[in-house]
Amino acid sequence: MFTLVIGGAASGKSEYAEGLLLARPGPRYYLATMEPLDAPAYRERIARHRALRAGKGFVTIERPVGLAGLRLPAAGDVLLEDLGNLAANELYSPAGAGPAGALEAVVQGVLRLRAACRALVVVSNEVFTGGRDYAPGTEEYLRLLAKAHRALAAEADAVCEVACGLPVYYKGEMP
Amino acid sequence: MTLITGPLWSGKRDFACRLLGCTRAELAGRAVWDVQELAAACATQAQLEALAGSLAAYEAVILTEEGGGVVPADPAERAAREAAGRLACLLAARAGCVVRVFCGLPLVLKGECDL
Repeated sequence: MFTLVIGGAASGKSEYAEGLLLARPGPRYYLATMEPLDAPAYRERIARHRALRAGKGFVTIERPVGLAGLRLPAAGDVLLEDLGNLAANELYSPAGAGPAGALEAVVQGVLRLRAACRALVVVSNEVFTGGRDYAPGTEEYLRLLAKAHRALAAEADAVCEVACGLPVYYKGEMP
Repeated sequence: MTLITGPLWSGKRDFACRLLGCTRAELAGRAVWDVQELAAACATQAQLEALAGSLAAYEAVILTEEGGGVVPADPAERAAREAAGRLACLLAARAGCVVRVFCGLPLVLKGECDL
């Protein structure tokens, strides 16, 4: 099972995505893609998400780039959060694939992961309904993320958009 | 007329080609896209309605959603965004079918579409 969960900021997408895996036997891995920068805003964000997951039995793995090279400790279920960060890291981070390779690194990385685990839930960000009045670099990033969304949506078993914590399914059935 | 809407780069034109059974090169004769950009030139509701009426002659009208961000501080941008949203509603009222394309996946909001 591969589900793509997309939503706006604070739409409840993380909690909904976690819930998709809780009924399964596990083990459960939380694949964190955010670069762990040492800044208060990041620490607060990470602490909030850790508190959300507390007691739900997720083992956290930090992996900001290079998903294709990741080996899971054991076969299990994976929650990847989030694709928007992963795409930005592959595009901009010194360790990333850069502009020429970012799309392949993101898409092939997720598909490799999908082949290596039992159930995969990928969380991503809806950032495409606010116009396109951005700096050129931002537009490059948005195009990359949009392409990754379309490519992964085509491969996914289910695709939903979360609003107010509630999913709308564009593909597949609500479990 | 089918109204095809959705976020930026969500695969709206590819979907229109599928719907109409045509290539990207042939699409220009049968559909019109980025119509949200036409709304800014309309100063009055009557002009918006006239625009919606003329666009409705196409088999498919494609409009990118852009009302989801922060309200622009610039008055002209704000007015353009408002007009684009109102145009979308006018087009949806005239359309036999309204489809929202999200990550390349269509969701029918109104009517029935032969997908």
